[in-house]
Amino acid sequence: MAKNAKKPASARKGSARRPAKSGNKRNTGSGARRWFSWRFIAKVSVVLLVLAAAGLAYLDAYVRDRFDSHVWQLPARVYARPVELYPGRVLARNDMLKMLELMRYRRAGGAPTPGSYTTDGNTLVIHTRGFRDSDGGEPAQRIRVTLGGGQIRALDSNDGDSLARLEPLQIGSIHPGHTEDRVFVPLDRVPPLLVQMLLATEDRDFYEHHGVSPRGLARAMVANVKAGGLVQGGSTLTQQLVKNFWLTQDRTLARKLVEMPMAVLLELHYSKEQILEAYLNEVYLGQDGKRAIHGMGLGAQFYFGRPLEELEPHQLATLVALLKGPSYYDPRRNPERSLARRNTVLKVALEEGALSDQEYRRFRERDLEVVPRGASPLYAFPAFIDLVRRQLARDYPADVLGEEGLRIHSTLDVLAQLASEKALSEHLNRLDASGDALNGAVVVVAPAQGDVLALVGSRESREQGFNRALDATRPMGSLVKPVVMLTALQQPKRYSLASPVADEPITVPLTTGKKWTPQNFDGESKGPIPLVDALAYSRNQATVRLGMDVGPDAVVRTLSQLGVKKTIPAYPSILLGSIGMTPFEVAMLYQPLATGGFATPLRSITDVLDKEGEPLARYPVDTEEVIDSGPAYLIQWGMQQVVEKGTARSARSVLPADLKVAGKTGTSDEYRDAWFAGFSGNHLSVVWVGRDNNENARVTGSSGALPVWSRLMAGLPQTSLSQTPPPGVEEVWMDPSGEKTSGKGCSGARRYPMLEASIPEQSDGCGSATQVKEGVVEWFKGWFD
Amino acid sequence: MVQGLVRLTLLAVLLLSGCAVTPPAEQAEPVTADTELQGSPAMALLSRAEQARAQGQTSAASRYLERALTMAPHSSWLYRELALLRLEEGDGHAAEGFAQRALRLAPDNDAYRAELWELVAAARAEQGDHGGADEARSRAQALREPDRA
Repeated sequence: MAKNAKKPASARKGSARRPAKSGNKRNTGSGARRWFSWRFIAKVSVVLLVLAAAGLAYLDAYVRDRFDSHVWQLPARVYARPVELYPGRVLARNDMLKMLELMRYRRAGGAPTPGSYTTDGNTLVIHTRGFRDSDGGEPAQRIRVTLGGGQIRALDSNDGDSLARLEPLQIGSIHPGHTEDRVFVPLDRVPPLLVQMLLATEDRDFYEHHGVSPRGLARAMVANVKAGGLVQGGSTLTQQLVKNFWLTQDRTLARKLVEMPMAVLLELHYSKEQILEAYLNEVYLGQDGKRAIHGMGLGAQFYFGRPLEELEPHQLATLVALLKGPSYYDPRRNPERSLARRNTVLKVALEEGALSDQEYRRFRERDLEVVPRGASPLYAFPAFIDLVRRQLARDYPADVLGEEGLRIHSTLDVLAQLASEKALSEHLNRLDASGDALNGAVVVVAPAQGDVLALVGSRESREQGFNRALDATRPMGSLVKPVVMLTALQQPKRYSLASPVADEPITVPLTTGKKWTPQNFDGESKGPIPLVDALAYSRNQATVRLGMDVGPDAVVRTLSQLGVKKTIPAYPSILLGSIGMTPFEVAMLYQPLATGGFATPLRSITDVLDKEGEPLARYPVDTEEVIDSGPAYLIQWGMQQVVEKGTARSARSVLPADLKVAGKTGTSDEYRDAWFAGFSGNHLSVVWVGRDNNENARVTGSSGALPVWSRLMAGLPQTSLSQTPPPGVEEVWMDPSGEKTSGKGCSGARRYPMLEASIPEQSDGCGSATQVKEGVVEWFKGWFD
Repeated sequence: MVQGLVRLTLLAVLLLSGCAVTPPAEQAEPVTADTELQGSPAMALLSRAEQARAQGQTSAASRYLERALTMAPHSSWLYRELALLRLEEGDGHAAEGFAQRALRLAPDNDAYRAELWELVAAARAEQGDHGGADEARSRAQALREPDRA
């Protein structure tokens, strides 16, 4: 579109010049007599007329084409998940206030308008903004929320259901191909005061003229002569729109000459309202890095962090003030100039009767009240937006995303995202104060629905760049061990969590003719240990022995059972995690482990709505049982031991004492990668820390990644993993050999959850093995104590 | 110790009285939305979902149920509702998955479990897996008539 537009413009210039040039030539070459020939003048006139007519016809088609398509080119906008409020929801008062601040709710007594709130101790009255959603959405309403003990105690809303949602926070937009951005606001939602101020300062004759205003031009010329320079443009709004739409910013006479006929043509085809609406949504208001700020809607967001409808008179005046020169009157960079110009606009509004005397005096005393740049959550989460863009690209062509103003409701949880960013950057700053050697990534998922709640792709999470969460493929190291163990536990006749596994040196002959002799992390060998300890303490030799016993090909099958799509060769080295995975892929792999065996595809989008808020598409949750309940429970239990007593026990001091979580540390060869992947009942988080150049990062899963994971998880509202074994699993006391049942209090006896098929018939003759029996005994004992 | 003796007597009485009548009622309390979600804000969303479904607005119903799940993640009933909804939408794959999840979280109630197995059977049939459907149906049958199984 843009290319087509440029070509005719240069052709036009060329054709306008050519006759003049040839005239000059003849003039100098053949004398003056022919130059004055009437026949020649007539010919030139005809040619010029034909050219002008063609030019006009062309301009006409061009103007209409551009107007019809351009105004409606709206990028797809991405929103976080709406904040769901209901009694019992874990939500600290501080987090609630942080959310309101992020969403630019202003504090005002009585919460009079949408987008305001008031507090009274632990009670908040919030006037919500309302929004559309695939379930109909939420009306703007005043709700009363009572907080206490870190959760919502009570909620009163209009419908009496004790439920309410805050509108989804806009977190970005997707505009492939161009870097313009816009929040479209239809004319009937533009504050009338803004229109009054605009017309009073920029184009008083707007409703009278036909695109150009000789009166306005004359006024401007007088002003310019008086000032001795160019101070007033004298352009009508229509001309300014033409300039914004089609022409470059240079103030040349040639541009002026094309601008006028185009403005007239525009007025011929479109109503004043259409032109005004287009102007309000098109006008250039500033620059945010590479992003051009077009239109009052986006301007309101960019400068004040609020929807246009919510701005107060002095803020509307600041936007109007910008029209004289978005950079010169930038309220952030040049606040004095901006303030002076804003007050001029307010004065004009007073003179026009748009503001009362009292209002004028009140609002001219107000500060500019612009939000600091970068404080807006808009464009703050580039890694997550990147994921949304990739998932959308599968279903929507680029032009639809760039032009149709789709509203994308995503799964992002802003509080989880902020907690993840903070945990990663703080820990990396501690490990590597000098700056940029270490980097990392975090993925947080709600495993039951597969919702991606947070995604951090870099230590500098605001910067757009290499998205490590999606693109850094690194060896997963010991993160593969639960998969090896699960492969064994799916054969209950052969293995249980108690099965003895030899943590002893092993040499594996490889097909290449070489030999592989894996070492333990501490260089020692522990001898025979229960299978669960090989997991909890991440013993390499025991894992390789077990893995060779079940066979690497069986481990590959388990990987694909858990949803790994790529082809993984069944080399012995995969048993220690030579498989390259991104943090996001690890989250996919661990998701079924977190839900007790149900695979659910990870999603970053729940709904797509059109620009009016009508639902277009849903991305519903899908789910499939991929691991039987028994083995799924056992592996979760095993992974809990990693945190209870194994390589991740340091997390216990950070997490609430009664919270049951599970996970696994991972460290790749030569300390290149530090991993931790783990989950509670409602959050699965994966953390990777390493160096981009793949050098020794001098970190282990425990030292590099686990602290990030624990702090992040401690900052989220958590539920414990279920401790109720499914049918077919019993709690059994086993003797130290792991081959005979035993009883509580017997020498070296340990209790394990076990599939019935795994329980050995042989007992060591001490006590009773299963908890059920023991439970009854305990119960009887209780009666007598 | 005295207390222990009193308790023992009480226990004996209880055990004896227990023997005197038929073993604990076979018909457990029926599982309903109320038994699962009473007092939870998810209840309001569940009834909105039912309303939407009755009006043929399956995608709104689905959204309500997914929201309800974030409030009551361990409710078997909500998964059952999702399974029914997906089945209605013709997505047998997801319907089977949700029915299985409902089973995993189901309270110890044979009639309710049997109903969920029937749901699994229907979802499998929808996917053309007739062998699997038969198997699920016979599990439902076994729960209804434990003696014959």
